[in-house]
Amino acid sequence: MDRSFCTIGHTSDCECDKGHLSVVDGKAVIDLKCTDGPMHFATLNCIMRKAMRQGCKSIELNGVMGQRYIASTASAEGLKIIINGTPGNDLGAFLNGPTIEVFGNAQDMTGNTMNSGRIVIHGNAWDVTGLAARGGRIMVKGDTGYRVGIHMKEFAGTRPTLVIGGTAKDYLGEYMAGGTVLVLGLGHEGSPVGRSLGAGMHGGQIFVRGTVLPEQLGPGASISSPSESDKIEIQALLDDFEATFGTKVPGGISGMVKISPSSSRPFSGYYDKTNI
Amino acid sequence: MSEPMKQGKRFDHRLPERFIPTIDRELCRVCKRCVSECSYQALEFKESRVVAVGGCVACGRCQALCPANCIEIRPVPPQFAPHGNWSEKSRRAILAQASSGGVLLSSCGADDDHPSIFDDLLLDAAQVTNPSIDPLREPVETITYLGRRPGRLEMCDGKVIIREDDTPLVRLDMPLMFGHISLGSISYNAQRSLFMAAKELNIVAGSGEGGLHPDFYQYADRICSEVASGRFGINPQYLKGGAAVEIKIGQGAKPGHGGHLPGEKVTTMISETRMIPRGTDALSPYPHHDIYSIEDLAQLISVLKESTEYRLPVGVKIAAVHNVGAIASGLVRAGADFLTVDGYKGGTGAAPRVIRDHAGLPIEVAISAVDRRLTQEGLRNRVTVCAGGGIRSSADMIKALALGADIAMVSTSAMIAMGCRVCQQCHRGLCSWGIATQREDLCARLDPEISSAHIVRLFRAWNEELKEVLGAMGIDAVESLVGNRDRLRYRGANPKIAEVMGVKHIGEGWG
Amino acid sequence: MSERGCRPGRADRRGMPLLADNYTASRPPAWQGQLGGCGIASCISLKGERIPGDRVARMLTIMKERENGLGAGYACYGLFPDRKDQYCLQFFFDDEEGKHGAEEFLSERLDVTHDEKVFTSESSTVPNPHPIVWRYFANVPGKREWRGDKGLSEDDYMVELVQHINEKVEKAFCVSSGKDMAVFKGNGYSHEIAEFYDVERYSGTMWLSHSRFPTNSPAWWAGAHPMSLLDWGVCHNGEITSYGVNRKLVEMNGYRCTVLTDTEVVAYMWDLLVRRNGLPIEVAAFAMAPRTFEEIALMPPKERRLAEWVRITYREAFLNGPFSIIVGRSRPETMLIALADRKKLRPLIAGLSPDDSTLYIASEECSMRIVEPDARTWAPEAGNPLVAIVGKGVIRRGTEDPFLGVRS
Repeated sequence: MDRSFCTIGHTSDCECDKGHLSVVDGKAVIDLKCTDGPMHFATLNCIMRKAMRQGCKSIELNGVMGQRYIASTASAEGLKIIINGTPGNDLGAFLNGPTIEVFGNAQDMTGNTMNSGRIVIHGNAWDVTGLAARGGRIMVKGDTGYRVGIHMKEFAGTRPTLVIGGTAKDYLGEYMAGGTVLVLGLGHEGSPVGRSLGAGMHGGQIFVRGTVLPEQLGPGASISSPSESDKIEIQALLDDFEATFGTKVPGGISGMVKISPSSSRPFSGYYDKTNI
Repeated sequence: MSEPMKQGKRFDHRLPERFIPTIDRELCRVCKRCVSECSYQALEFKESRVVAVGGCVACGRCQALCPANCIEIRPVPPQFAPHGNWSEKSRRAILAQASSGGVLLSSCGADDDHPSIFDDLLLDAAQVTNPSIDPLREPVETITYLGRRPGRLEMCDGKVIIREDDTPLVRLDMPLMFGHISLGSISYNAQRSLFMAAKELNIVAGSGEGGLHPDFYQYADRICSEVASGRFGINPQYLKGGAAVEIKIGQGAKPGHGGHLPGEKVTTMISETRMIPRGTDALSPYPHHDIYSIEDLAQLISVLKESTEYRLPVGVKIAAVHNVGAIASGLVRAGADFLTVDGYKGGTGAAPRVIRDHAGLPIEVAISAVDRRLTQEGLRNRVTVCAGGGIRSSADMIKALALGADIAMVSTSAMIAMGCRVCQQCHRGLCSWGIATQREDLCARLDPEISSAHIVRLFRAWNEELKEVLGAMGIDAVESLVGNRDRLRYRGANPKIAEVMGVKHIGEGWG
Repeated sequence: MSERGCRPGRADRRGMPLLADNYTASRPPAWQGQLGGCGIASCISLKGERIPGDRVARMLTIMKERENGLGAGYACYGLFPDRKDQYCLQFFFDDEEGKHGAEEFLSERLDVTHDEKVFTSESSTVPNPHPIVWRYFANVPGKREWRGDKGLSEDDYMVELVQHINEKVEKAFCVSSGKDMAVFKGNGYSHEIAEFYDVERYSGTMWLSHSRFPTNSPAWWAGAHPMSLLDWGVCHNGEITSYGVNRKLVEMNGYRCTVLTDTEVVAYMWDLLVRRNGLPIEVAAFAMAPRTFEEIALMPPKERRLAEWVRITYREAFLNGPFSIIVGRSRPETMLIALADRKKLRPLIAGLSPDDSTLYIASEECSMRIVEPDARTWAPEAGNPLVAIVGKGVIRRGTEDPFLGVRS
C-alpha cells in the first residue's frame, strides 16, 4: 500500500507494548526507544491505552520525540502523565480530566479542544495552543506562538484558563467566547502580546502584564483595568503559576491590563435580512 | 463595521410587498386561525375581519391550516418599470442595501433560475441485450457502505487475511444520508424527526455543528458527528458515540465561509448542547484554526482516529469548488475514509447571498470531477464519496450515483417532507412550521412522530424508485450504478458540460 | 470442416454492414462495445491428453443459431510443449509496415527466439481484408526496464509491452501473449474461422471457443473472442451492464482498455484479482458474482465476514448483468474456470465423458452431445465457479459452498 496512507493495526490484545511498558505499583513507565527509528504515534497511544486499562494512575513517557496526539480524549480520573522529551502536535487533544506535565517544549496545537484537565509545559508551547478549549487549565512556563487561545469558550461551571509565563504572538484570543488567558511576559521587554489581540472576541477575558497599545487590539476587543474581582482571579492564577514552576513573578498583580469584548454580539447589524 | 450602520438615523427605502395572502370573504369564518399561525405577523384582525398588513413571505402556513380553505397566497405582480437587465430582484437588493448598509443574508439554497444539470441528463434502460428486472419480485440491492475500503484483499500464503481492526464501515440500507443540520439552525423537534427517520430508514444523519443534545444519544449509532471550526459541543462521548465522524471544512451554500448562529437563537437548550453561554453568538470561524494546509488536515483526521481508537470512519466535508478533484485526492491521501462534497445549490440556515448565489460548483460537475480524479490516481476504490447540494428527487439521487457518488446527501428534501415550503426565511428564526426556529410556541407545531413518518415515507418511496430504475437498467445492485456514466446521456444546450462530466451526448451509442 | 453445403451466403449475415469504413484488423471501428448473444464451448483433458482442434470446432459450430457471422475464435492451451516456458506473442498485422514496426519494438525489448507465420487459408470465405497472422516466441530479458521501472515482474513487463503495442504501435495488434497457448480468432462464422486457421492442425490439453452474435455493434478482428492477456483467455456470452464501473477498477490498476469491450475488462479483472492480488479462484469468482447481502447474512459467521469483506472491497469487480464466461490459464497449471452471473441469466452446462477423462463446458447441451453422446451433464449454479485442472480433474463442480476450500 502507498506509504501516504494511514497504517493501523493496533487492537486491545496486540503486543506492541512488549519491551516498552513496565508497570510497578500502578505506575507505568513507557520507554519509547525503538531499534528502527522513532516509535509511531499509534503504537505509543495504544501502549498508553493499555496502561490506562490496567488502572495506572501515573504514566511516564521517556524519550518522546515528536509523537503526535498523545493522550487524546484521555478521560481516566486522577491520571497523571509525565512526558520527558518533545511531544508532537495535538498533545492532549479533547483531554477530559487527566494532568499532563511536559519537561521540555511542546509543539503546535497543545490542548486542542480540551474539555477538562491540566497541561503543564516546563518550556515553550508554539502555535495554536489551547484552540477551542472549553475547560481545564494550560500552564506554559515560557513563550507561545501565534493564534493562541483561539475560540476558547465557557459554559456553566467550566471555564478554560491559559497562563503563559512568557509571550504570545498575534491573534491571541481570536473569537474568544469564554475563559481567561493570562500573559506574564516574564523575561521580556515591551508588550508581551502581538497584534489583532482578541479579534472578534465575544466572551472571556485576557489579562496582560505589561503594555498593550490600542492598535494591537483586534475588532471587537476593548482595553480596561482589571476590576477587584478580576484581581482575585489573577492572584489565584499567579499563585498556581508560582507553585507549579517554583518561580516568583516580580511585581505580582501590578501592571496588568484587561482585554475584554466590547459586545457579546460583535457583528449584530452586519447583515441585512430584507426579503428581496 | 461600515459607517452607515453606526449612524443612528436611517432613511429606509420602502420596498413593495412580494406576496399578498388573499382571503375569500365568502368562505372566511373569521376564526382568526391564520392570524395566530402567521409568525411573520402579516395578518391582523381589524374591524371584524382579517386583513393582510404586509410582510408575507409565502410560507404557506395560513393557507395550509385555514379550516375554511379560503386563503390563497398571491405573488405581487411586477411593481417596477420593466427592464431586461435590471431585474426587479437586483433593484430590490440595491434599495435594501442602500438603506441598511448590510451584507444581504438569506437561507436555503441558491435561488437563481439556472437550470439544474440533473435535468439535462437522461437515464438508460435495458433493451434486448440485457433483461430488465422487476424489483417487486426479484432482489435489487440498495445496501451501501460508508467508510474506507482497502483497495485489495490482503493475502498471506494463499490465505485471505481478515483483520478485526480493519477499517470500520457503516452499513446503510439505501445510498442516502441526511446532511448536517445543527440544533440551533433547526428546532429540537425537527432534529429529532431527522434522527428518528434516519434510525428507521437505517441510514445516517449528520449532527451538524453544535454538539448532540442528551436526548439524542439514543440515535447515536445513526448519527455522523460533525467536527466543525467552532468545535461546539465536542467531548469524548460525542466523538466516540456516533456512527462516524466528519470534519466540516465547507458547505456548498457558502464555500469559504463560516457559521454564525445569532445570539437570539442561543436558547438555554442550545447553550447546553453547544456548551456556550445563553444569548451569545455562536461563531464558527471561516477556517479551522488548526488547519491551514492539507498536512494539518491530515493531523486533525489522525487525532480523530486516535481519539475514536480507529473504530469509526472519519470523513471530510468540503464545498464543491473549482479545483475539487485535486482537493478530493488530497483528502483521501490525508486519510479521509469518506468525502462529502456539497454543491453550490446546497441549503443553509443563513448565508450571505453574494456567496450563496455566486460561489462554488454545481454538484453534478463536482461529482464527476472527484470521481474521475480519484480514479486516475487509483484511489476511488478506497474511499466513499457522498454528494449533495440540490438533490430534489430520486431521479437526482440516481443521476448523482451514476455520475460517481456512493451516497446522496439530502437535507432540504427532508425538511420539505416535514412541511418546509422553502420560503428562505430560516435566518430570521420565525419559521412558522416549527423547523428553523427556536421559539417555543413555533417549535411545538412540529410533532416528531408525524414528521419522522413523513420523512421515512418519502425516502422509502425514493428507494423504491431507485430500485425501479436499477431494475429497468438491468442492474441488481446499486454498487454497479456508482460511477457508471455509460448509463447517462446529456440532452442540454451545452455539450461542453457533457464532455467535462464524461457523459455522452444523446444519440451517442453504447460505450 | 466440410460444411460447404449449409454455409450461409452473405445475405444471411442479416444485411448488416460487416465492417466500418475506417476498419483495420488492428484498430477498433468507431463503435464501442461489443454486445450480444453468443455461444461458448470448451473442452479440457483431465488426464493431460491432447485434444485435436476439430473436436472443439464441432462443439462450437453445432450451436450455429447463436452466431451471425460477426466473429468467432478459439484458444488452445498446452499447444507448444517444446516451447512451453516461452511467451508466445501472436499478432494481427494490417500489412508489412505494421509487422515491421512491431518487430522493431519487440526486438529492442524481448529476446525473440523464434518467429513463424501462422497458417491461414487462402481459399477461406472469411470476408476480406484478412490480417497477416504471425507469432513470436520470446523470453523476457533479465535486465528490463519500462518507463523507469526496473522492478517489474516478467509478467507485468509483458502486460505493459502488450498494452503499449495495442495502444500505440500502428497496424499491429497482439492477440495473445501467454505461455504454451495461442488464440485463433477473426471476423466470420465459427466454421469459417476454424477453416481459416485450419484448427484441425493443432491439438492441446484444453480448448476454449466462442462464436458471436453482436446485436448492436459491428465486428472487427481483434474484437472477437477469446480475449487474452498473458495466459488468460476469456470467452464471454452476455452483457456486463456494470462495464463503466468495472473498467474503472482495472484502469486504476494500470490496465489500459484498448479493445473497448466488456470481455476485455473481464480478462483484466481475472489477471488483477488472481495473478496480481493472489486471490483464490473461489474468492475472485465471488467478487465478480457475489451473493446478495440477504444471502450473505444467512452464512456461518466466518464465511459471512469473508463474503461481506470481499464484496465491499471488490465492489468494482462485481460483474453486473447477464453473463456466462469460460476462462483459461496455463500457469501455474492449465486450468479452466466457468462462471455464470449470480442470477444465471446466461446458459452454462458442464459435462463429463463416461471415462472421466474429458470435461466439456458449453452454452448448450447439444454442444457436448455431438462429441460425447454419453456425457454426464450438470448445470453449475449461478455465481458458483466450476474449476478443472489438466491432470488433476474437476476441482469444483460449481455446486459447492462458495468458499469451500478457502482458508481464512
